[in-house]
Amino acid sequence: MAINIRMRGASKNGVAEIKALIKHPMESGFRMNKATGKPYPAKYIDMVEISVNGTKAIDAQWSGAVSENPYMAIQVKANAGDEIKVTLKDNTGETGEDSIKLK
Amino acid sequence: MKRRSFLKGTLATGAAAIAVNAGLLTPSTVLAADWNKKAFESKTTDDALNAVFGSASTTASGDIKLVAPAIAENGAVTPVTVDASGIDGVESIAIMASKNPMPMVCQYSFGAAAVGYVSTRIKMGETMNVIAVVNAGGKLLKAEQEVKVTIGGCGG
Repeated sequence: MAINIRMRGASKNGVAEIKALIKHPMESGFRMNKATGKPYPAKYIDMVEISVNGTKAIDAQWSGAVSENPYMAIQVKANAGDEIKVTLKDNTGETGEDSIKLK
Repeated sequence: MKRRSFLKGTLATGAAAIAVNAGLLTPSTVLAADWNKKAFESKTTDDALNAVFGSASTTASGDIKLVAPAIAENGAVTPVTVDASGIDGVESIAIMASKNPMPMVCQYSFGAAAVGYVSTRIKMGETMNVIAVVNAGGKLLKAEQEVKVTIGGCGG
């Protein structure tokens, strides 16, 4: 199942702030399951990429220390009509992507 | 003849390739394609910085706007904003939590179309410092702020 991303963004004076909410457990792999005495297996988003009109603008790497259901806000130089795309994957290989057209 | 020297040659290049794979000869990370395992598994902030930027010597800078709460009621969702848009030539930003078992939380590399600005939420196990390191034109600038983490909401 693809990772769910919800994003919004608006451009003002040539700079667009993009806000994204991602639905993901972000399990670090160190949290103990008290019932079994074993840690919950790691499952966290490790690679995030943001592109503007198909050109990569930001490349991010995350660890399991980013909070559950991550919130991310970034800024790119973009104008109304430009397409912003977020692509991500987690350490188990699950991927997600979403894109918006700036207003 | 040449078999011997040929073999020697291949072995030498093989060793170099292994060194690259092991991260011994990692080139500086500009829009890196691979997850920086070494940085994220480092146990100290200095090791993590070395793994990301190849250096751990940073200069404190007032130009980085680091916004984090003075007191976080729930350390599992600590909002952190790093605004380095006032600095020229920002190439990357790394966010660390000083006392987490593995301090490196996340790192962002910026291309031409990006602004040096990141806002996110991170997990913090106890009261500690949030550290933002900005790489601008090869110089490492740092901003640091303490966040008090109260567990159970009873103060602490």
